[in-house]
Amino acid sequence: MEERLEPNEMIIHLGPQHPMQPGPFRLNLRLKGETVVDADIELGYIHKGIEKILENKTYLQGITIVDRICYLVALVNEECFVGCVEKLLDIEPPERSKYIRVILEELTRIQSHLLGIGEFAEFIGFVSMFMYAIRERENVVGLIDMVTGARITHSYLKFGGVRDDLPDGFKEKTLSVLNGLKKEIDNFEQMFHTDRIYRERTVGVGVLTADAAKNLGVSGPVLRATGVPFDIRKNEPYLVYKDLDFKVCTETAGDCFARVQVRLNEIRESIYILEQCLDQIPEGPLFPENSLYGRRTPVMRVPAGEVFHRVEDPRGEMGMYMVSDGSDRPYRVKIRGPYYPTLQALPPLIIGTTVADVASISGSMDGCTSEADR
Amino acid sequence: MDVTEILKSLTGRFPEAISEAIVESEIRARAYVDKDGVKEVCQYLKDSLQFDHLCVVCGVDYIKRNEIEVVYHIASYNHPVVLMLKAILPRENPEIESIVSVYWNSNWYERETYELYGIVFKNHPNLKPLILPEDMLGEWPLRKDYKGFPNKTARNLV
Amino acid sequence: MGEVKEQKTSTSDETSVEEVPGVITTTASAISDFLKKTKAQDLINWGRKNSMWFMTQPMGCCGVEMIAMGCAHYDTDRFGIIPRNSPRQADVMLISGYVTKKYLPALKRLWEQMPSPKWVIAIGDCSISGGPFYESYSTVQNIDEIFPIDVFVPGCPPRPEAMLQGFVELQEKIKAKKDLGTEY
Ligand code: SF4
Repeated sequence: MEERLEPNEMIIHLGPQHPMQPGPFRLNLRLKGETVVDADIELGYIHKGIEKILENKTYLQGITIVDRICYLVALVNEECFVGCVEKLLDIEPPERSKYIRVILEELTRIQSHLLGIGEFAEFIGFVSMFMYAIRERENVVGLIDMVTGARITHSYLKFGGVRDDLPDGFKEKTLSVLNGLKKEIDNFEQMFHTDRIYRERTVGVGVLTADAAKNLGVSGPVLRATGVPFDIRKNEPYLVYKDLDFKVCTETAGDCFARVQVRLNEIRESIYILEQCLDQIPEGPLFPENSLYGRRTPVMRVPAGEVFHRVEDPRGEMGMYMVSDGSDRPYRVKIRGPYYPTLQALPPLIIGTTVADVASISGSMDGCTSEADR
Repeated sequence: MDVTEILKSLTGRFPEAISEAIVESEIRARAYVDKDGVKEVCQYLKDSLQFDHLCVVCGVDYIKRNEIEVVYHIASYNHPVVLMLKAILPRENPEIESIVSVYWNSNWYERETYELYGIVFKNHPNLKPLILPEDMLGEWPLRKDYKGFPNKTARNLV
Repeated sequence: MGEVKEQKTSTSDETSVEEVPGVITTTASAISDFLKKTKAQDLINWGRKNSMWFMTQPMGCCGVEMIAMGCAHYDTDRFGIIPRNSPRQADVMLISGYVTKKYLPALKRLWEQMPSPKWVIAIGDCSISGGPFYESYSTVQNIDEIFPIDVFVPGCPPRPEAMLQGFVELQEKIKAKKDLGTEY
């Protein structure tokens, strides 16, 4: 970026404060006329050193901290962390807890995708769509609130189970919200398909082919929009995803329109999973019987070892690598967030496009800078 | 592809560079890799064994052994096996070959590991700090003997 | 200083410019100082408190709640509180999350770009005392020494209702002329 500019070239800085993402990062664009010839990203504006903090907290305290890695999908982060510790301890939650976890994680997926779709629509100037999406999201967040008692940072999972049971009337409320949501999703889809301005700004913009996407290392809806059916829930099933019937949504175009379409289809698929879960959920205890682990986990030491656990985040593959040295604190936790590689793939995608498309491409990635920075 | 087959093929191809290859479970395996052979091993994994997806590169500081490990997790878009490769480096002047030319997305992971641990990745195209402010370079905050943690600047701290 | 009115004020004793017979010279700050002593300031404050546009800059988990607050469900528009993307159009800056060493210069710059009068609200434990990240190596503590914060909204994250309450408290403060921000 520093080398000398040619005549009629200029550099613009987008950010760190900009309306394009939830979270600050800086995008340096070198323009020739209106075309982007070079791009470069600066991160770290909200780097808070979570990995270092986790090394100095006990495992139980760690659950609170991992909530804040990505604030839109706190429960999935918790699942990843708790899953690591459970693998090290060699315990397994009982069926009912597993179902409750799946229910909450799918609700999290729905609300995250709704926010993602809404924000993307806002970036390309479709503000009323943002309001519609947030309106629906509030209902879903209300459901999560009903179970966990918090809107975005829950600390709800415990080692070997979950903190509380589902409240009375949860099933009926959820079904009614989901029924409303189904209609709205059809509505959104129709709006996206018929709005001419929207189509012109997204169809054929930011095209990623399957090979290029694999090479860039992206995952999640961005990859699935190129036609690669890569989903950790299918490839490496955790919890009860093995027993549930769902399909991996893919599109083939690989452009912004396809990414949004994948998200819409995934919301439908999540609704379907939720309906199955609510039907099948068995009665039973929340924690494994005859074990120490319960609502009040004792101060615990985790056997030495190392583990890499992966879960499917709404944005792609989330993994954690945990090293334990036998004490009550993890020796090292490395968080592999899904948005980090996706953000890294942004500069090659926007080079050659125009400035107006930058917002559209970067918005279609559905970002969460906090998780890239950690 | 089966995990034992993968390890057999790997150790057969690189008898010197790969050591202590262990199968942990059906979908996890691990091995130690010599620090000079990382790039060739990765190239072989990518070309012949379908390991086309780099999950993460990170460092771990083992201060008692006076060593730093660089850990690569390599997975695939086609099969669920995740291979953990570890390279051992000394704590003073750790240096290792960069694998950006094999896995494109290791670029930022290596930059991050560099600024947090001080591990220099040779032949990296753009090795400069990514997430820390420039004046914090050289403090290596994730090493175990880092002095600035916990941060004492807050008022009302006990 | 949009509130400067055409008003004959006798502030000639304060201005030290050379006297031109028949012309009274004055400055905007002199007018504003004078107005503070009169009933007109109440009217101005009433106007200010009912149109507090805030700058959207989500910096952390609280930022998501801030977005939710500005949108359909909680609808801050009914209090005249409208989200703006540019600091140049904003009256209120919400510090919604952790301030890191790298972000602090940018935050100060944003604060300078906002036209006065301007206010700051600290949302969430992180901006008040460091919150869960008080011991982190990269965050800055004691934000209240850097910005003149009028209202603190505790919580991790505070619910949108609490943030709205924070705005209402700020309105009360402006009405009672007890706020820090007007002087900026
Ligand atoms: S106060 Fe809590 S919710 Fe708010 S930014 Fe800090 S950690 Fe996140």
